[in-house]
Amino acid sequence: MTDDRFAHELGRAAQDYHRPPATPREEIWARITAERARRREARTTIVLRPWLRWTLAAAAVLTLGVGIGRLTVPRGASRSTVAEAGRTGSDIAYRVAATQYLTRTEALLTDFRAEARTSQGGRPDAQFSAQARDLLVTTRLMLDSPAAKDQRLKSLLEDLEVMLAQIAQLPADHRGNDVEFINQGLDQRSVLLRLRAASPAPGTSARGAL
Amino acid sequence: MDERELIARVRAGDPSAERALYDAHVDRVYRVAYRLAGDDELAREFTQETFIRAFARLEGFRGESALSTWLHSIAMSVALNGLRRMKRFRRREADLAEADGVAATRRESEPDLKRRLAHAIDALPEGYRTVFLLHDVEGYTHEEIAAALDVETGTSKAQLSRARARLRETLADFAGEWTG
Repeated sequence: MTDDRFAHELGRAAQDYHRPPATPREEIWARITAERARRREARTTIVLRPWLRWTLAAAAVLTLGVGIGRLTVPRGASRSTVAEAGRTGSDIAYRVAATQYLTRTEALLTDFRAEARTSQGGRPDAQFSAQARDLLVTTRLMLDSPAAKDQRLKSLLEDLEVMLAQIAQLPADHRGNDVEFINQGLDQRSVLLRLRAASPAPGTSARGAL
Repeated sequence: MDERELIARVRAGDPSAERALYDAHVDRVYRVAYRLAGDDELAREFTQETFIRAFARLEGFRGESALSTWLHSIAMSVALNGLRRMKRFRRREADLAEADGVAATRRESEPDLKRRLAHAIDALPEGYRTVFLLHDVEGYTHEEIAAALDVETGTSKAQLSRARARLRETLADFAGEWTG
C-alpha cells in the first residue's frame, strides 16, 4: 500500500477514535457563566491562597526579626555587641523564615524546570510567574536580613533574585527560548545544587548554610 | 458582524457579543478537546476553561493572528496541560493499586482493527498523537497546528510522519483489510 493510501485509510479508520458527540452548547455556556461569576465573586473577597499566606507570614517574620535585631542593639554598641544581639531573637526568627523560604524557592524552581521540560513548547503555566513575584519580595527581605552576612548565602540569594525576577517577568506569550535562557542560568550557576546545600534536610537538625 | 467588531463589543462588555463569539467557535474547541480527552466531562471542562481564559485575555489579543487561531492555542494549552495533570494523577493511582496488588490484569491483544488502532493512538507520544488527531482526524492544516501548538510547521509535519510510521508498524497485520 502506498503512503498516501495508508494515510487516507488511517484517517478514515481513526474517525471513530474518541468520536465527539454533539456539542452540549447550553450546558457548557451555563457552566462558563456560573464559573465566571464565582471567580468575580472570589476576586472581590480577599482570599489568601496558601503560598500567599506563607509569603506574607515569612515576610512578617523577617521584618519582625530584622526589627527586633535593630531595636535590641543599644545606640553606640560595638560590633561585637551587634553580633551578639543578632544571635538572639532576630537570629531565630530569620532562620525559621529563611528555612521556609529556601524550601519554597527550591520547590518552585524544581517544578519550573520539570514543567518546562514536559509542557508544549517549553512554556510553563503563568502561575510560576505569580509565585516568583511573591518569593522575590521575600528574597529582597532576606538580603536585608542577617542571612546576607553569610557570603555564601548572600551570593545564593543574589542569584535567586535574578532567577526569580526572570521568571516573574516572563510575558504571558513568552517563547520557549525565554524559559531555556532561565534554565541555562540555573545550570550555569548551579543554583539548585547550592539551594539544596543551603536548605536543611527534611527531618534533620542540620542547617546547611543557615 | 465581522470579527473585529465582535471583539470590540466583547471588550466593551456586551454579553450578547460574548455569546456570539462562543457560538462561532465552541463546536471546534469541544471537538478537539473531546478527541484529545476521550471523555465528555473532561472535554466540557477544557472547553469551559478555554472560553473563560479567552474572555479574560481578549483585552490583550493584538490581532496578529486570526481569533480562531488564538483561541485554539488557548484550547490546546488548556487541554494538554489538563491531560498531563490527569496522567500524573492516574500514574500515582496505578502505582498505589500496584502496590496494593490490585492492578488490573493486562488486556489481551485486540483482534479488532478499530480497537487496535485506538490502543495504538493512545500509545503514541503526546506530540505525535496531538498532531495526528488534529491533522488526519480533525482536518487541521500544518499551519493551523503549528500556530495552535506554538511549533514550526516542519515540526508538525515531522511529528505526523513519525506518528503514521508508528501506526503503520503497529497495524501491519491489518494492511490487507485496507486494500480490499
